[in-house]
Amino acid sequence: MAMNKRFLMKAMLGLSLALGLPLAAHAEDTLAKVKSAGVLKVGTETAFAPFDFINESGEHAGLNVDMFDEIGKELGVKIEWVTLPWDGVLPALEAGKFDMVAGPATITKARLERYRFTIPIAEATVALLKQAGDDSLSKPEDIAGKLVGSGKATAQLAQLQEFGKSLKGGVETREYVSFNEAYADLAAGRIVAVANSLPNIAYVAQQQSDTFAVVKPAFGQPSYFGFIGTKKPEDQSLLDAVDAAILKMKQDGRLGKMQEKWFGTTFDTPDTVPEPKV
Amino acid sequence: MSLRLFELMLWAAGYTVVISAISIVIGLGIGLLVCAAKLSPNRLLSLPATLFISFFRGVPLLVQLLLIYNLLPAVGISVPSVVAAVVGLSLCTAAYQAENLRGGFNSVPKGLLEAADMVGLTPWQQLKRIRAPIAFRLTLPALVNEAILILKASSLISVVGVIELTRMAQNLAASTYKPLLFYSVAGALYLVICWTVAGGGALAERMARVGRA
Amino acid sequence: MSLDFGLMLEKLPEILAGLWVTIWVWVVATALGAALGFLVAAARRYGPPPVDWLLRLLVEILRGTPFLVQLFLLYFGGPFVGLRLEPIPAGLIGLTVYAGAYFSEIFRAGFDAVPRGHVEAAQCVGLSRSQILRRILLPEMTMLVLPQCVNMAILLIKETAILSIITVPEMTMVIGAIGSQQYAFADAMFLLALFYWVLVEICGLLGRIAEARLSKFRFAA
Repeated sequence: MAMNKRFLMKAMLGLSLALGLPLAAHAEDTLAKVKSAGVLKVGTETAFAPFDFINESGEHAGLNVDMFDEIGKELGVKIEWVTLPWDGVLPALEAGKFDMVAGPATITKARLERYRFTIPIAEATVALLKQAGDDSLSKPEDIAGKLVGSGKATAQLAQLQEFGKSLKGGVETREYVSFNEAYADLAAGRIVAVANSLPNIAYVAQQQSDTFAVVKPAFGQPSYFGFIGTKKPEDQSLLDAVDAAILKMKQDGRLGKMQEKWFGTTFDTPDTVPEPKV
Repeated sequence: MSLRLFELMLWAAGYTVVISAISIVIGLGIGLLVCAAKLSPNRLLSLPATLFISFFRGVPLLVQLLLIYNLLPAVGISVPSVVAAVVGLSLCTAAYQAENLRGGFNSVPKGLLEAADMVGLTPWQQLKRIRAPIAFRLTLPALVNEAILILKASSLISVVGVIELTRMAQNLAASTYKPLLFYSVAGALYLVICWTVAGGGALAERMARVGRA
Repeated sequence: MSLDFGLMLEKLPEILAGLWVTIWVWVVATALGAALGFLVAAARRYGPPPVDWLLRLLVEILRGTPFLVQLFLLYFGGPFVGLRLEPIPAGLIGLTVYAGAYFSEIFRAGFDAVPRGHVEAAQCVGLSRSQILRRILLPEMTMLVLPQCVNMAILLIKETAILSIITVPEMTMVIGAIGSQQYAFADAMFLLALFYWVLVEICGLLGRIAEARLSKFRFAA
């Protein structure tokens, strides 16, 4: 028995050493690490057209892919994508599974407290998508008392819920793993509308004009999309470099061209992360 | 469905098969260890084994995968998506395989072992010549069943970022707006895989029976 | 990572609502699945051969494909063929049919395993058909299939987690959403693991109690 106890103690000591050592290791600067590996790992969700999606040929496409191709060139590294359901992306970023997140994600107060955003890359103001020819929804307020879908763990869902509180009769919400499932359910008629950012739903409505239409105007507070990184000190140099790359792309017109390609319009976005209204 | 998309589905099915196969084999290894620990008279070994089996059979794979992927880094163990998926599937199947193996070992007739004692076989020889082959034969159907369960359970590993058959179908269903087509094709591919495994298992059982006393 | 279950405590009403959905969906799907499985097993045993073949094909298809794919087909494919189910009915039907396939195999083995001698002996001492069914066949079969039924019930508890993917507001959905809103990812995962583990252990315990009560019907095969 004494022998067993000693063995157990040793095993526990060994285990704690094995687990503890990596924690104590000196945190290496992420930009240096990325450059020496030649690879920038980016987490994202591929169900957020036209920013990030799988196209009809089964390829990963969208504004994110084009932008990170250029960002990769600026930094002299290759991009490695890690694709997860959206509600798993931020936990995995915190767990250090990748260097930053594409998304993009709406810049909100709550998120700014916890993460660092890059400078805005597009507008994110939330609006409603409805079935084409649905005359019962002519303005956002018409969703009062109805069932509206949005994405799990998204800022768009939070804004929908906030907006619902201001309506008589409120709004019933349904949370989907991704917006793709929400669109499918809208087409099937299980919900009356989907709340998502205007650039997203404008694209969906244009792609499937027989099925969907946008309810104008947008109901949400004006907001912007950015890419996300952590606030860890070692990550800041990388995010500074990404910011510089985006700014450069904005100034030399590459970003404008990409926005034109994916949205049919350009966005007037600020050069720094603005104080969020949401 | 264009040929290109069908190719993508096949490729993803291959991924499903490879990851499941690796997990089954690793899971069998861990399952053997856990089974040995559980059968041990030493409580320091049998208690952790009991706990292991209870935990991995009691928590949904979805949750296990997220724990492995997102929470292990907090104690300094960070693994990429594919490894997290294999670890999750392996540990999950190990718990079930340990129980199957235990059932197999316990079903080896006592008379055979007594006879082996009489003719002077050492415990190791008994294990190698009698207990292990019989236990293997007895647990083979359960192993085949387990392989099929893991093939199907692998449909969940996209939560840690692995694009396998179900995820591919989901992606293509969304990008082509044809869910009925792509989920049906995915279902058909799973059927082909699972029925092949079941058929192979039945064949192996017949072959294992050839040498039966 | 920091664990702060106080945060989860604040959301207790929502969590309990999710737990309730998990439990009732599980209980109803298990009960209906067992009933469906029994009917399928009986139809395959006593019905004409074509019925047996057709049911066997259906059972093998259901057992050869992931529940997730079946659910996707039913929920997202359904509307394309005029079948538009709401999340909870879709989840219940999907889970019941899936469970039914497995239960039917358990009962099929159970039917086969009751020795003919027991039935013949009962006939000899003059028991009526319904008495034989109630006193001999059903109790002995129940004893034989109970452990597998408990195992199946345990598998089904865990399958209910998948219903979150079609927006059923069960435990995984609710606790996951709270974890996301509060950025309490670790707490949410631990809590979920704990809830399922406890549910599964309770189910196993109930199964063992039932087995002990029915043990008088055990026989050496």
